Amino acid sequence: MTGQPTPPRAALVLLAAGTGSRTGHRTNKVFLPLAGRRVFVWTLDATAHDPGIGPVVLVVRADEVEAAQAVLAREAPGRDVRVVVGGASRHASEWSAVQELLPSIEQGEVDVVLIHDAARPLSGPRLFRDVADAARRHGGAVPGRRQPGLLHRDGLAVRAGEAVGVQTPQGFTARELVGAYRAAAEAGFEGSDTAASIERFAPQVRICNVPGSSTNIKITYAEDLFLAEALLARSSFDVRRLGPGAAGGS
Amino acid sequence: MEEPEYADLTCTACGRTAEHELRHVGRLLATTTCTACGHVVEVVPRSMLTGYLHDLEHRVTSKPVRMVRRARRDPLRFARELPGALLRQPGKLLDELGTLLRGR
Repeated sequence: MTGQPTPPRAALVLLAAGTGSRTGHRTNKVFLPLAGRRVFVWTLDATAHDPGIGPVVLVVRADEVEAAQAVLAREAPGRDVRVVVGGASRHASEWSAVQELLPSIEQGEVDVVLIHDAARPLSGPRLFRDVADAARRHGGAVPGRRQPGLLHRDGLAVRAGEAVGVQTPQGFTARELVGAYRAAAEAGFEGSDTAASIERFAPQVRICNVPGSSTNIKITYAEDLFLAEALLARSSFDVRRLGPGAAGGS
Repeated sequence: MEEPEYADLTCTACGRTAEHELRHVGRLLATTTCTACGHVVEVVPRSMLTGYLHDLEHRVTSKPVRMVRRARRDPLRFARELPGALLRQPGKLLDELGTLLRGR
């Protein structure tokens, strides 16, 4: 024992409650197999070796808690992941996760919260580090990629560099995030994403843009699964080779 | 061919977010079918062969680690299920290869 205090770490929140159907035999898409693992497990892999990332909270639907725990036991043994039940909206799920992290935040063990869509399995480790570092410096950080060639509805082209496609993880300093979500709860406000609540209830926080990654796709279309599989095969199924800083990933 | 899985995905043909049937060969996705409009996305079986062999290599090399993990998690269940799993493997691999060579 050196007596050195442990530096605070970034908590990772994986949102998996808001995707897929709530009825029938359908699988929530983040539980689909992707090159031998479930979609959300690739994010756990990407962050497994980063000492700066601490507690992980996986937010799932009430009827998927058992399935989530079984996948974690099988595919991410030894990884400390807290499974919590999400709400009816993305905002409510985020609030559930933030409440789970409250003790760690209040004790100073967690200084940044990274909120990530579990349907984005190929972010790569570097993006989590970049977002956490930028959030520490500025208060908030959101990855994005310029979207050239977009058109307005009336057909006029959007000028190059004006439009940015927003990705996750989105990172915020933990205390400001808690303050904003408490204020949102009191006001009955539900933001469409994390940044919306911060902008409204913590306007002093500067949210900066971090370069996103071309491999950071969100599994939305059926074709995305084929693409994700091909990207993983190209990286020899090592997700640490994907994302910013990796070949072809910026 | 593995048993199909079902998930809500957005269809590029009809634009609806609907149930899709997903079929895999080994660990690789082979076809998706939109149950709303019938739109099928598939990889031509023979063209999957290279990817399949690459994936198979990864499956084989990572197998010992996965087996140790399974044995540690539940030794009794592992010991009980191992003989059956070993006996099933050749047939499973032949079935996967057959699917790729014959087509679906």
